[in-house]
Amino acid sequence: MRKRSEKVLSPVTSQRKILYVLGMVNVLIIIILSFLSPTFTTYGNLTAVLSRMSELSMLAIAETIVLISGGFDLSIGSIMALSGALCGKLYVMGIPFHIVLILALLSGVAVGGLNAFLVVSLNLQPFIVTLATMSIVRSIVYGILKGIVLADFPEKFLDLGYVYVFKIPLLFLIVVGTAVVIIILLKKTVIGRYIFAMGANERTAYLSGIFVNRIKFFVYCLSGLICAIAGLLFTIRIRAIIPDAGINAPLEVITAVLIGGTAITGGKGSVLGSLLGILAMYLLLNGFNLLGLNPFWNIIILGIILIYVVGQENILKSLRQRRLIQSR
Amino acid sequence: MKLFKTNSNDDSRDARQDKNGFAALKRVFQIRELPILLYVLGLIVVFSFITKGFLSIKNFENISRQISTIGIVSIGMTLVILTGGIDLSVGAILSFAINIGGQGIVHGWPIWIVYPFMLFLGIALGWINGFLITRINVPALIITLGTMNIYRGTIMVITEGKYITPIPHHYNFLGSGIVPFVVLAVVLALFIFITLNTRFGRNLFAIGGSELSAVYSGVPVRQFKMIVYVISGLLSALAGMILVGKSGFIQPQAGIGYELNAIAAVVIGGTSIFGGSGSVLGTFLGSVLIGLILAGLTMMAVNPYWIGLITGILIILAISADAIRVLKKAKG
Amino acid sequence: MIVVEKISKSFPGVKALDNVSFTVNDGEVHGLVGENGAGKSTFIKILSGIYPDYEGRILINGTPIRFNSVHDAQKNGVATIFQELTVIHELSVMENIFLGREPLKFGGIIDWDNMRRRSEEVLSFLGVQLDPGMLVGELSIANQQIVEICKALVLDAKIIIMDEPTSSLTEHEVERLFALINKLRERKITIIYVSHKIEEIFEICDTITVLRDGKHIGTLKRDRTNPNEIISMMVGRSLETAFPKRTSRPGELILSVRGLTRYGEFEDVSFDLHRGEIIGFAGLIGAGRTELVKAIFGATKLDKGEIILHGEKTGPFLHPQYALSNGLAYLSEDRKGEGLMLQLSVRKNITLSILKKLSKYSFIKYKNEKSIVEDFVSRFRIKLASIEQVMESLSGGNQQKVVISRLLLTEASVFILDEPTRGIDVGAKYEIYRIMNDLTAEGKGIIFISSELPEVIGISDRILCMREGRLVRTFSREEATEEDIMRVLLGGQVHEAI
Repeated sequence: MRKRSEKVLSPVTSQRKILYVLGMVNVLIIIILSFLSPTFTTYGNLTAVLSRMSELSMLAIAETIVLISGGFDLSIGSIMALSGALCGKLYVMGIPFHIVLILALLSGVAVGGLNAFLVVSLNLQPFIVTLATMSIVRSIVYGILKGIVLADFPEKFLDLGYVYVFKIPLLFLIVVGTAVVIIILLKKTVIGRYIFAMGANERTAYLSGIFVNRIKFFVYCLSGLICAIAGLLFTIRIRAIIPDAGINAPLEVITAVLIGGTAITGGKGSVLGSLLGILAMYLLLNGFNLLGLNPFWNIIILGIILIYVVGQENILKSLRQRRLIQSR
Repeated sequence: MKLFKTNSNDDSRDARQDKNGFAALKRVFQIRELPILLYVLGLIVVFSFITKGFLSIKNFENISRQISTIGIVSIGMTLVILTGGIDLSVGAILSFAINIGGQGIVHGWPIWIVYPFMLFLGIALGWINGFLITRINVPALIITLGTMNIYRGTIMVITEGKYITPIPHHYNFLGSGIVPFVVLAVVLALFIFITLNTRFGRNLFAIGGSELSAVYSGVPVRQFKMIVYVISGLLSALAGMILVGKSGFIQPQAGIGYELNAIAAVVIGGTSIFGGSGSVLGTFLGSVLIGLILAGLTMMAVNPYWIGLITGILIILAISADAIRVLKKAKG
Repeated sequence: MIVVEKISKSFPGVKALDNVSFTVNDGEVHGLVGENGAGKSTFIKILSGIYPDYEGRILINGTPIRFNSVHDAQKNGVATIFQELTVIHELSVMENIFLGREPLKFGGIIDWDNMRRRSEEVLSFLGVQLDPGMLVGELSIANQQIVEICKALVLDAKIIIMDEPTSSLTEHEVERLFALINKLRERKITIIYVSHKIEEIFEICDTITVLRDGKHIGTLKRDRTNPNEIISMMVGRSLETAFPKRTSRPGELILSVRGLTRYGEFEDVSFDLHRGEIIGFAGLIGAGRTELVKAIFGATKLDKGEIILHGEKTGPFLHPQYALSNGLAYLSEDRKGEGLMLQLSVRKNITLSILKKLSKYSFIKYKNEKSIVEDFVSRFRIKLASIEQVMESLSGGNQQKVVISRLLLTEASVFILDEPTRGIDVGAKYEIYRIMNDLTAEGKGIIFISSELPEVIGISDRILCMREGRLVRTFSREEATEEDIMRVLLGGQVHEAI
């Protein structure tokens, strides 16, 4: 009896459970859709789904890191739009392309740094801070683009969207690559451990000698960087720059990340889980499109799932604590 | 001498007599609203010099509509934030009320059925928010983030993205001339009265200040929280109705960004984001400020999207001031 | 009249109240005393309605009652003024007094005149000059407390419980409070007065009940006893807990602190610590011990003072990391809030402070980590199924061993242990004492804080007594007795009964 309950109580096994369930869900969706729609299983469709997922997956990776550290980032969509907008605008102004790319990436780091600064120095809640920076950055984007959609880029850059490596879209591979790097960072490095520790209990981390504020800066800047990369991927994929890019991202990404097993309070999380969550979302969306259903059902379902998942987690948490108290 | 700092026993100060039972109001007004009032007046003066026609009648109508809609939504948001909660779905409820309620216009329903229907939708959606928040142990932030998108998604599914147009002329009344201001004034007066003079209103401060103490004292916390979200929904619907008037069409994208503007108005107006302190009057002034900036900048042909920038910066300044005030208080 | 019959209440791992029975008579001021952890606050929480689950019964005027909420208790005439005041800062005095029961005119509108008038009545009955319209947040703590008393009166409470009411008051304010209590006594209101300040108990109470380790020790009329007797009842216990033998031979000076001050918390504290020595800090809650050591560790800011470690002035530390790298480690008294990372595994909890040492080019070497953790788990006999187990699932004692292991891995030379055995079973306690002994045998120094006097005396070489932020006296182990120490902690002005 005791052995069984102890198995359940390892964080690794409970995380594995979630991944397993999520993986099964995805497989299920794929099976159902392949029955319902012949076009679903075509190579063209599947690679299109993978491509379309790429920028949101990057945002999900970024948000996972921030949530694990105990923070919250609503500005992810705006940062993504900013890097694309800067890219276009600066290039049109005649700046050499490789410098443009660097500046676009730096803009993400800068916004992340601003977020971290406000959270750390004034001890403000990350939700409100990133809510504010989300709108500040968004209106900077509008201001840069003045409502126009830009479509003037070096062909070589945009053609990256057509590159396939072993028949898999390059864009998706970039996502996978980033995911691998971040997973290694979180699981195997010292700073990754510090991020988990901070999210689990910031005071404990501080008293154990961790420079909590420095790590917050690192986390938000890294998140900003990844979101900026996402912006570039987005630009490549649609071959244009849209001022409204990523405007729905916070909800979709946060829902996927929470479904994937990352706790909203921090200390627990999985990049793989978040990606599986995004995959599920996109498979569903794809399914809706192919079957002719209104795609806006997507965000309705997302809203319901969000409330349900977080609610369940809370209920499970209190159930688990009660069980633990009794079992001791 | 005791080492630990305690406030000195100053009987004379405590005994200061103040005959007026509205001492609390006076004090709050003295501290919080005055600076904003000055900013607002200053802004009006500046704008009227910079742009021709700022004080013209036509512009007045635009400003009046804008300030009223933001103002009314913000008043609802104030009540929610006072209790320590937040409502991100106000814009979505506004849109839902006028779009779904507006289907009645499409079907030829008379205005005296359409308007109540819109209000009813606002109440219903607010009720859903309140129900979920008080029953599920999930932060209001997450719940209203979820419902915001459930409502918006539902709007898109039902309307299929189509605008509702044309709108019969008698719907213009709510949006023309000083009518929006009148509505705002009535709502403002009503809720200032409620928050200053009714048990419900005063208890909101208790719930936000120390929910545990409120529970201990037998304040019906759960019911009051429910009511607050219903009010927020109702006022969002009302604001939507004003928005419809005179614009000639109803679009599914209505109300986008209203949650941000409302939160900004509330925070700028001196209400603490943590709950427990603040004033409806302050929020009103905050929304006037934002409305003026919006209108003024439009007139100056500045890209309207800069509004988000300014709003965001104002929010950060306001909550920083709030946070600093809290820090100072804690230090002693 | 309150009759308490065989009240027991347990929490995981500890029996807070054990078959407590006594009687409180009408209209008396009944003092409730005991050390930290004696069960006073649990008892109050039961009587106030915070804990509806307990064994035994309580009868008020012959009727058995069981309150299921604070509001329920209030409706039945029991009002509590907690140590953490429950006033609403943004509301006025009168609104606080009538919170939840505001007098109304029609339609939910508050009847201000009525509220003001009745508030003024209560205030003048108590002889206090306060403007009912003032915001409570602007009042002194003493006045806020008075607002709470008014609230209790307006609730028509027949029983008022006061939990450590004078902990934040000046002498003048204490006198004023006592005058109020006398007024309440005139109204035949029963007051249960919980405090650890013996002088005050003897000044204001008619009857005194002593609790110790959750048990009822005695209830005596004030006139029939004296402070010494009460103190003996509070502390007297046979030293059942054996302490492992220590042959301490304190060596050279390892840590010296001079003139440490942090405004509002402690002032001008100086002491020395030698190799192989354990110095124990005794003090009541609020004496400033935890604040002191946290400031030494660099977790909070020191306003004045210097810290000399290993003969060098390493000064105040600006961040815990600097303290750690200089060989100073700290175990927090708040295990749950500042010691554990509940969602993470045992392994990750133990190695948190030394990750840099276990890594190469920032990559954690799993094998090294695993072996070092397993080493400690076996050394300390931490009971678990696997080092990957999540911290939540361990017992209190094992959790504490994990946190202590984290500290030990830092190979510090000075260990600050704040209440290391709180909430732990006897077996685990003994093991922790053994660990402490091993450390001193290795030449480390230990600063030990505990609220259990027998423990402090049994383990420390020297006992430093703190009261209200100052270091007032040092005892050596040989000369220390529980009663002497308690007397020092309580104020040393205790008068013998006539």
